[in-house]
This record gives sequence, structure tokens and C-alpha cells, in this order.
Amino acid sequence: MPKQRVGFYFILPWLIGLIVFTIFPMLAALYISLTDWSIIGTPNFIGFENFKAVFQDDMFYTSLFITVRYALFAIPLTIGTAFVVAILLNNKIKGSGIFTTIYYMPAIVSGVAVAIVFKWVLDPNYGVINSILAIFKIDGPNWLYDPNWVLPSYLVMAVWGASGGLLTYLVGLKDIPRELYESSDIDGANFMRKVWHITMPMMTPIIFYNMIMGLIAAFRKFTDAYILGGAGNEGTFYMVYLYDQAFSFYNMGYATALAWILFIIILSLTIIINVTKKYWVHTG
Amino acid sequence: MKKSESKWRNIQKGYIYTFLTLGSVVMLLPFFWMISTALKPDSDIFTVPIKWIPSVLYLDNFQRATEVIPIFRYMFNTFLLAFLKIFGEVFISGLVAYGFARFNFRFKNTLFMVLLATMMLPYEVTMIPSFIIWSSLGFADSYVPLSLPAYFGSASFIFFLKMYFETFPKELEESAIIDGANYFEIFIRIFIPLSKAAFITIGLWSFMGTWNDLLGQLIYINTPEKYTIQLGLASFSNMTGETLWGPLMAASFLALIPVIIFLLFAQRYFTDGIKMSGVKG
Amino acid sequence: MNHFKKIRIIIISMIFVLILSACSTGSGKSNACGQSGNKFVFATWAAGEELKEFNEIVDRVNKNADGEYTIETLSIPSDYYIKISTMIASKKTPDFFWMTQELISKYSKLGAIADLTDLMENSEHLKPEGFYEGVIASATYEDKHYGIPWIANPLMVYYNKDLFDEAGVQYPSPTDNWTWEDFISVAKKLTTEKKDINGNKYRQYGTVVDGWPNIETFFWAGGGDIIAENGEDILLDSEESLKGLDILNEILSSNITPSYSEVSSLGSNNVWFEKQRAAMFMGGIQDNFEEKLAKLPAEEKFEIGYAPMPVGLDGEAHAFDWTASTVMAKGCSDNETAFKALEDLTLEFFKWKIASPLEGQVDQIAEIDPLKEPALETIQHALQIARSANYVPEWNEINNRLWVELYTGMLNDPDKYDYRAKAKEIAKYSRDLIEKRK
Repeated sequence: MPKQRVGFYFILPWLIGLIVFTIFPMLAALYISLTDWSIIGTPNFIGFENFKAVFQDDMFYTSLFITVRYALFAIPLTIGTAFVVAILLNNKIKGSGIFTTIYYMPAIVSGVAVAIVFKWVLDPNYGVINSILAIFKIDGPNWLYDPNWVLPSYLVMAVWGASGGLLTYLVGLKDIPRELYESSDIDGANFMRKVWHITMPMMTPIIFYNMIMGLIAAFRKFTDAYILGGAGNEGTFYMVYLYDQAFSFYNMGYATALAWILFIIILSLTIIINVTKKYWVHTG
Repeated sequence: MKKSESKWRNIQKGYIYTFLTLGSVVMLLPFFWMISTALKPDSDIFTVPIKWIPSVLYLDNFQRATEVIPIFRYMFNTFLLAFLKIFGEVFISGLVAYGFARFNFRFKNTLFMVLLATMMLPYEVTMIPSFIIWSSLGFADSYVPLSLPAYFGSASFIFFLKMYFETFPKELEESAIIDGANYFEIFIRIFIPLSKAAFITIGLWSFMGTWNDLLGQLIYINTPEKYTIQLGLASFSNMTGETLWGPLMAASFLALIPVIIFLLFAQRYFTDGIKMSGVKG
Repeated sequence: MNHFKKIRIIIISMIFVLILSACSTGSGKSNACGQSGNKFVFATWAAGEELKEFNEIVDRVNKNADGEYTIETLSIPSDYYIKISTMIASKKTPDFFWMTQELISKYSKLGAIADLTDLMENSEHLKPEGFYEGVIASATYEDKHYGIPWIANPLMVYYNKDLFDEAGVQYPSPTDNWTWEDFISVAKKLTTEKKDINGNKYRQYGTVVDGWPNIETFFWAGGGDIIAENGEDILLDSEESLKGLDILNEILSSNITPSYSEVSSLGSNNVWFEKQRAAMFMGGIQDNFEEKLAKLPAEEKFEIGYAPMPVGLDGEAHAFDWTASTVMAKGCSDNETAFKALEDLTLEFFKWKIASPLEGQVDQIAEIDPLKEPALETIQHALQIARSANYVPEWNEINNRLWVELYTGMLNDPDKYDYRAKAKEIAKYSRDLIEKRK
């Protein structure tokens, strides 16, 4: 693409918005992380004390571990689920519109409602999952009440809500010309080959989008985890710990330091993924 | 050759239908519980074993819901706020995404990284400084802080549209340029029509974002007349932990209806495909 | 190149303007009290129906004030303290706002709320001595009163007389001196297998303990506490406190309460008592069981009995008291009209809910809720033994660990969890926190 200043004018609205609405609070947050601000008190500058304290804080490591571990499973699971569902829905079958609506519905509910509903779904005694397992004479686990089953509980919720990315895949799938599939049919390609050689390349930009957004979302996981928790501290995701530090313990300075460290982690991972972009993302 | 082919097609379709239907049940189960709870009197809600289908259709919860909060007023307020935001947010995000996707300019990649980075700092730590700034400019208890930033684009929307625009072949603009069109016209006349589904998606997200936002609206709105729907739903449980389950589920269900309608409207754009043969691939 | 230069200049000047405006806000415009014409903002967590009642009271008070002042309601239906603290940070503190007891020490230490001691002592109706001792203590920090309690809700034991009759167990008296040992043995006698109308088997439990009552109740049961009155000495690993944990552990491992994971399947703990699947329930005096039962069909009703919280190993009974107070913004402490408005409104609050924190107003309760009349003797007793922990600014951190680690550890695994070790661990953590304070 040739260099064109015109592009800069197109992005100007965002740039102005960035400076007016975003940069300033971010600078404020940077300053706050260097203080002992408690929201309701006066801030006192303490330099890098907060950051030093973070690296000596057991809960920092625990919550980070819980979050990373969740991300490792949740990201592929959600991308995979949404992608598979999108491919299925993309066939010319009657009622795909209704199915699309139904599959996207989990994404339209607020985080609070999801948590309330899943508290019941995952109830060890009378919840849906264990009731169904009981029909097959299986003794369901204690889900959120058993430290070993907290991660699976959240993964179940993640898969249920995986269709958040569904629409983005449908948008991309729609544009793949039918002739490409038809001509490969003539060549005798089976379903899997078609997906791998035709569908995937055209979907890579969208998969890239979902990967980065999934990464950010997994590391910033908060609302349902805050309401549901989990036995043995297993539900204390990084953001839950940060939120507690900020609003329950009034250590806003410390919480902001935690936020910046999270920021750096997510940014680094994103840059790494971005570097690999040219190897696998196919652009027009 | 054709007969066995179409038989195989039908078997395939059969599998797909079965899988999709089973999955649908899973997806809808929590909603079914929500409606079921909304139709039960308090004493029937938590029974052992769970009563799936209420013995009597108890419509009182819906009435109680409207008595506890002026739910339709709140929904109207939220519509208002959503409409204030949606067109600006969607259109400007499109413009910005176009700039990032189809042009090269100095610092482009760095600026795009900055855009991604703005999504990585938790909202909780910038929330109070933002509020202090807005409030000192006189905008406490107003929809302005919640809607004005939308007119400058939204990072996740820009990101998605950028990736989407990148799937279009580079030659797309060439013939229009030769005909003397400027880039803005190309954006409006070529890219937008080709990206209907993508823009509808962003529109849905914008609407959902406004509809489901609790904390932002809580911080910036004071007078109950201006409340949005999430603030209204929060009124069903109080500080001592008591929740009015029946009315809450009734109200939550009512609150979902507009979003579902929007979704039903939007999904047409994904399933009727305008297959642009020759545009891509 | 010209274009870029222009844009760069615009951007830099915008940053400049923003910095200027930020500096002007930072210049400590301190919070004046109320607005012109003595309009005061009162923030509350009341919402929905409670808010309607609240507004009725405010309207009444404003009418009687006849223009001397006006009180404006600010309802915060969710994330109450986030909004309050945000308002304080932006120097727009509400003139009055409700606060629960555990945060009063923190807010007062950080200078966000006013010291009301002198104002209260010089007032006619709100003298500190007029409140129940345990109740006013929860709004006091370092011997100064920062909040005016407007409600007291101490614990008492509700029991199901029908189930007691069935099991042939004698009722405890309304002011009984029964001990925790008595309580546990009664609970054991009331735990039995039963069949419901459909012939399904179920277990009737003696009581429900699922995180409620709070852990303080059990520390006190042993004669211990979390932190001493001086606000410095940690007591949660003392022998008395540990004996209190033994009592909690005995309850949890004797099968006299549904397991933690079972409780929420009926919604919440109180439902077990309402559905007659638990014979005793430790609830606040405010809990509206009577009202709920009145709405049930005849075959589901039962007679409720009342008894006080059991006596602990120190020979005394303690009832945890949940108290909400009203606090005043720092900037209002010199404003006499403000305090008058607060006083008038608070006196109305005393007549609103169960129970008024002022001594000698127990009879009022029967007027507010006639269904509570049979409980008055026990309620009076509960108010007199009302107690809360000694809240220090580090309270939330300590309590968080006590709940997430100690209590839920005991709830999830009552037979094997090493609670003594965990208590000692949290005690050390708490001592370190207090050290940092100095």
C-alpha cells in the first residue's frame, strides 16, 4: 500500500478522542499508582513502593496464576466453540436465523444475570447439570464448592457464553464465495479439507481479532467471578483481587499498580501475537 | 451420482440439525429458568425438587416489577441514551477503521498498538479520575459523559472493522480512483454497502453496551428520573442481601426483550448472504 | 508537512488546556455544607419500595421544617460505597449518608466524615448514653462518635414450636441462659429423618449455619474476639477464640446443619426455617418470618418461639448486632442547621424499622409490626446484649481472609480442615497489618 496521509485524517476523530477522554485519566492512573491514595483520603507520593509490594504479595501470584490458567483453556475453547457453531450455522438450512438468535442470546445477558443463573445451574444438589448427570446415575461434582472443580465451573460458563464471537465469524463466512466451495467439491474435497483450505484462510483476520479480544477478556475477567467466587480462593481472579484492593480495602494506589502490571502483561502478549500476524493472517 | 449425493447432503443436514437443537436447549436453559421463576410466587421459587413448570401462571411478579420501579420509563431512558450513542459510535468507528485498514501513514502501526492498549487498562482505575474531570466541568448527573466519547469511535469496534476491511482485496478502490472518486466517497459508496453485516454487528454491540452498562451509569447519574434499566434492576436487591427473586426475574426478562428484538432484526443480515463472487478469493 | 504541523499544534494545545483545568480542580476546593437555602443531600442505599418509604419520611420532615432546611434524597441502588467514595474524591461528598458499622473507622481515619461527639452530647434526644451500649460502640472510633445509629438489629434464636413438640424437647425460655452446649444438644435432638407429603425422604436439621451467623459470633462464644478494644491487640488466635472455633466446628461436623453447598439450593438460609426443614434459626430481630408465615396456607404454618443467643464460655451471652448509622460530611460539622436536620430525620427513622437503637423504645416495636409482639421480651434482651467487633481501619482485609479462607474452609470440609492453623496464620497477617499502621 502506498503511503497516504489521507488515512491519517480518517483516524483523526479517534486520535482526538484519545487525547481528550483517554490519555488524561491514564496519566492520572499512572500518578495514582505512585501514591498511597485511598480514594477518600489525600494521596501521598510514595514512589515505587506499591510495585515493590506487589512482587512480594502472595495473592498477586495466586490470582495471576488462576487467571493465566483460565486463559490458557478458555481462549481456545471459546474461539473453537464459536467457530464450529458459526460453520454449522452457515449452511443453507431452514431456521438458521432462529438458531443464530438462540446461540447469540447468552452474549446479550449482563454479567450479573449470568452469575445468578449459573449459581443455580452449577448447584451441586439440585442444579441442572447434576440433575441431568443423576439421570445417568453419575454423582455430579460440587462445582464451585470444590476447589478442584472451580476452574471447570468457569470453563463451563465460558463455553456457554462462547458465542459472543459468533457474529464476527458469521460476518466473515458470509463473504466467502460459494463457487470456491463448489469447485472444490468437483475436485472431491471432503468437509474438513474445505474448511482448512478455503474457510480458514479467509477467516484468519477474524480469528486474529477474537484471539486478541479473548486474551484481553480472559485477563480482565471479573463480574461473574466476583459474584460467585469459588472454594479455596480458586475463584480469586486477578481483577477480583484488584477490585477488592481498590474498593473494599481502599488501597487504590496499590490497586492501580496492579492494574499497570496487568496492562504490561496483556500488552506484551498482544505484541507477541501481533508479531506472528504476518505468518498466518491472510489479508486481501 | 446426483441421487446419492443429495442423500448424503440430507444425512449431513440431519446431523447438523440434531447438534444445533441440542445445543439450543443448553443455550436456552438458563433463560427458561428465568421465565419459570418470573411466573412463580415467592414460596414456589426454591423448592426441592425444582418445579420446572410453574403449577399456576403467576403474573403478579410482572405487576410487582412495575410497582417497584418505573421499568418502562427506565427502558425509555436507556433507549434514549443508546440512540444518542449508536450512530456516532458506529459510523466514526467505521471511518477510523477504514483509515487503519486501507492506508499507510507514519506511525500507523504504533498508533494501532496504542488503540489496542487502551482496552487493556482496567476501567476501574481510570473511572474515578474520569469522573473527577467530568464533574469539575459540570457534567455530574448527566448523559453527556456517557455518550459524548462515543462520537470519537470505540476501540473494540474499530479493531473488528479494521480486521474486516483488511479482508477486502487491495484492488477494490483502484477502479473508483481512476474514475476520480475521493476516498471518503469510496468509503461511503463502496465499503459501507459491502459491510452491512459487520456494521449491524457493531450496532448491536453498541446497543448492548449501553443496555448492559451498570457501573458507568451508576457513577454519572443521580436523579431517579434519569435512571437506566440496569440501575432499575439493581433496585430489586438491597444492602442486607434480600432479593425479590420473582419480580427481579420478571423485570430482567422484560429488559431482555428489546435486545432480543434487535438481535432478531440483525440476524437477517447474516443469513441472507449477498455472495459477492469475484470480490474476494 | 504543513498539515501535520497544524495538527500537532492543535493536539498540544488541547493537552495544555486539559492540564490547566485539572490543576484548577486539584486546588482543594473544600466541600461547603449543603447548598444555598440550607439544602442538604442525604445519600441512602434504599431503592425500590424501601426508597418510597424513605421519601415519605423525608417529605414529612421537610414539611415540619417549614423552610428552615430542605433534605434531598440521593438513592444509590447498587455499588453504594463506590459511588460514595467517588463523590468524596471529587469533593462532592453528600452532606449525610448511611454507613454500615465496619467502615466507620476507615472513613473517620481518612478524614472523610465529621466527629459528632460534641453535637450529640449537646443534643436533646441523641445523647450517646441514650443508646444501647453495644449499638453506639459500633459507630465509635477512638472514643469519638462518628455516626448516629438509626437502627439496631441484634441476633436472636427463632425456633419452630411445632417441631419441638414433635421431638418432645422443652422450649428455651424467652430470656434463657442456655449455653452453646445446650444449643448443640437441642439441635441434635431436632435433627431427624422425615418424609414429606409425596413420601420423599428428607432430613430435618436442628439449625442452619452457612457463614451466618458470622464468625465473630463464634469467637465470642469461646470468650474470645478478633481484635481487642484498644484496636491494636489481635485476639483471634487466643485460646478462648480457638475454643470458639471448636464450637463452630462441632456444629458443622455433627450433621445438625445442612452442608454449605446444600443451603443455597433452597435460595438462602432463612428459607430452611420457613419451610420447616430447620428447627432453629439465628436471625436478626428484624427478620420478617412472622409476616411470611402469615401468608402461607394453614398446613404450612407453624408457631414461632423466641430465645436469646446462647451463653458463651465466658459466662455471657452475645448477640451480633447489625447497625446502620448516618454519618455527616466533614464540611458540615460547624453547621448547626445541618445537625438539626439530621436530628429531626433520625428521630423519624427510629419509628420506621425494627428496632430503634435508643433505650426504652421497645414498646414501639409492637406498633411498627404487631406480629412481633410475642417476641418483645427476647428482643429487649437481645438489644441489651448487642455487640459488634472492634472495627479498625484494617477490618475489611482481615475479615476478607477470615471469610474466604477460615470460614469457608471450615464450611467446605468440616471434618478435616485445620482451622486452628489457619486462625494462627491470619492472626500473624493481622498483626503485620497493624504494625504497618504505626
